[in-house]
Amino acid sequence: MSVATATPVDSPAAPAAGGRKGRGDRGARWGALGFVSPAVILVAVLLYAPFLYTVVLSFTEYDGLNSPEWIGVENFTRFFDDPALTTSLRNTLMWVVGTTVVPVALGLVVAVLSFGIKGGTWLRLPFMLPYALSGAGLAVIWSFILQSGGAANDILGALHLPGAETSFLQEEPWNTLSMIVAWTWQQTGVNALLFLVGLQSIPKEPLEAAKLDGATGWSLFRHVTWPLLAPLTTVVVGLALVASLKTFDIVWVMTQGGPGRNSETLAVTMYRDAFVSGEYGYGSAVALVLTLTTGAITLAYLRRQVKSREALG
Amino acid sequence: MSVRARVLTALVVAASLALAACGGDSGDDGGSGGKTELKLYNDKGAWSPFFEDLGKLSKEQIGIGMTPVGYTDEPTYSAFIKASFRTNEKPDLFTWSTGGRLEEIVEAGQVAETTDLWKDAIAAGDLSKELEEAYTYDGKQYCVPLNISYWVMFYNKKVYDEAGLKPPTTWAELMSNADALKAKGVTPFYQTSVLFSFVWFQQLLIGTNPDLYNKLATGEAKYTDPGVVAVMERWKQMIEGGYFSDAGSKEDPAVQLKTGKTAMGIFGTWFNTSMTQQGLKPGTDYGMFTIPNVDPAQSKVTMAFESGPLCSLAKAPDTKASTDYMKWWVGQPAQEKWANSRGDVSANPKVAIPDPGLSAIAKSAGGGEYTLANRYFEAAPAPVLTAALDAFGAFMVKPDTYQKQLENIQKAADDYWKGR
Repeated sequence: MSVATATPVDSPAAPAAGGRKGRGDRGARWGALGFVSPAVILVAVLLYAPFLYTVVLSFTEYDGLNSPEWIGVENFTRFFDDPALTTSLRNTLMWVVGTTVVPVALGLVVAVLSFGIKGGTWLRLPFMLPYALSGAGLAVIWSFILQSGGAANDILGALHLPGAETSFLQEEPWNTLSMIVAWTWQQTGVNALLFLVGLQSIPKEPLEAAKLDGATGWSLFRHVTWPLLAPLTTVVVGLALVASLKTFDIVWVMTQGGPGRNSETLAVTMYRDAFVSGEYGYGSAVALVLTLTTGAITLAYLRRQVKSREALG
Repeated sequence: MSVRARVLTALVVAASLALAACGGDSGDDGGSGGKTELKLYNDKGAWSPFFEDLGKLSKEQIGIGMTPVGYTDEPTYSAFIKASFRTNEKPDLFTWSTGGRLEEIVEAGQVAETTDLWKDAIAAGDLSKELEEAYTYDGKQYCVPLNISYWVMFYNKKVYDEAGLKPPTTWAELMSNADALKAKGVTPFYQTSVLFSFVWFQQLLIGTNPDLYNKLATGEAKYTDPGVVAVMERWKQMIEGGYFSDAGSKEDPAVQLKTGKTAMGIFGTWFNTSMTQQGLKPGTDYGMFTIPNVDPAQSKVTMAFESGPLCSLAKAPDTKASTDYMKWWVGQPAQEKWANSRGDVSANPKVAIPDPGLSAIAKSAGGGEYTLANRYFEAAPAPVLTAALDAFGAFMVKPDTYQKQLENIQKAADDYWKGR
């Protein structure tokens, strides 16, 4: 107890105890600044500085050997003329649509169907387990399944289903689609978990009132549960959107964007141009375009969601 | 503690943290006695045990030890080496590749010249005059050979024996062997769409028209020339004829050859290491043969050849120690250990090779029996190579697109040669 009573007096947050209010305030502010400065310096050096450096590099031609040469917007005009951009954009779009719809919808289904029933945890467990894998681990496992003549081909062949001869990781668009399937396998669980948290936080009263009014099953979900889940859906879809726009690890491990660049996403294009081709200026330009695109889309999405919610309530 | 003192203390702590983060380690290169322990940065992480053996041997023989720092991801490695040119974290020795990539860093003035070393080594018979060319820029030499390899056909001996086949001496015999294997349900040849996608293009072209192959490398010929198109058409027919393993398979090629799923594969003689690491015995479980020319009218067999360099920087931490190490590296004791432990040939002609198959190939190659062609990976300028590797990969999935793929490579070649 003595600690509890003594603390406010010594704390810089309670300067009123002394008679030097103005000085104490300023001192506390400087003191606080001094203490946060290590973190501020680290963030500035490790996050802001590299970002600004990338922005500068994107306007230069830089091979990593000779000094960067200022070339204005040439990297950007070249990027928009590059035929690889079309493939890369198309694949990124497939990732955006695929990963914001399928794993989110499946996650919702798993959460809703297993919520509030006996043994629900056990039913959800198989969907949660894949989330324990790292992105690279996931990619390695699915490479073995999807590679030409791999498990997927064998199973389809044994069941006399079409696709036994398809090279899933070689032919477009199968390579991008099958990587989205792999991603879905992992992400469904975490989305289900998030929706489950949402379901648990829904107040009981509106649900009970709806039930008294005769709402059951689909109509209960459609008109009561779903609207109440909206704030969480915004977060889940927002996270999926950002993740899909920066898809890199799974593609790099499974196909390296190939063959012939046909499964590249924007993030893979950026890495390839910067590090494989050693064109750091051009790679930086791609990185900048990707960052701005991701930022703009996410912002637009969140704004729209917030606005529509404000309109509702 | 007063407020001012607290602010000051916090700032000092912050500044020292930032300084500690920015500062590098001082290293062991201080003092005038010279370095006795060098670090060899390389992109051949799988060879670490062999490098370590050489490090121990050099410590015994010249008093300079060597520790390998192995990378397995090529882009990361290249980025690190290039970054080291601008920082204080400089490698004592590093591996690279010959051709356009070496030229690039030589032109940037980063690589230590080795002209005198080459002169002495050639006089002593430790290096050959023929090899010198791959290391020469503007009449001066840079780096020394880390390794050399000839590109030959590896084959599963048991599969060959079971089918009653013998290593071929003509292209027609090779294809008839392939047909016999196909009839028995064995895939004749290995191919991949990742990184080594150039191999069959290289082999079919040097076996048909080595002159055209060399002209492509120097920009004197175009990828859309009829000779190159004909090679792609042949390759396409072979793919469609079922002669190749699935290019998208991620199974280790050594395992594919070991299991007999695939009977043959074109590799550098360094592939011996991969085969022996699979527990296979050269001469018993597997063998290798020189790949006959596609065009029988060619007087000599053309064989692809690669040589990877071991370099030091012009501003290496201790240039003398690095040069002394390279001098020792090309000598017979080092090369005997280096080549034989990996089961490969050596750049030093004095080195005796215990494996009879390999020894015969090295002897014939060294004796001028073959026309040697620089491997495509080194022969093609870097941007052309990048475009070509993609194009060949895409071609393997859709062989009908060969014309479009050649046009894509030529576009990269046009861009490259336009600036020269």
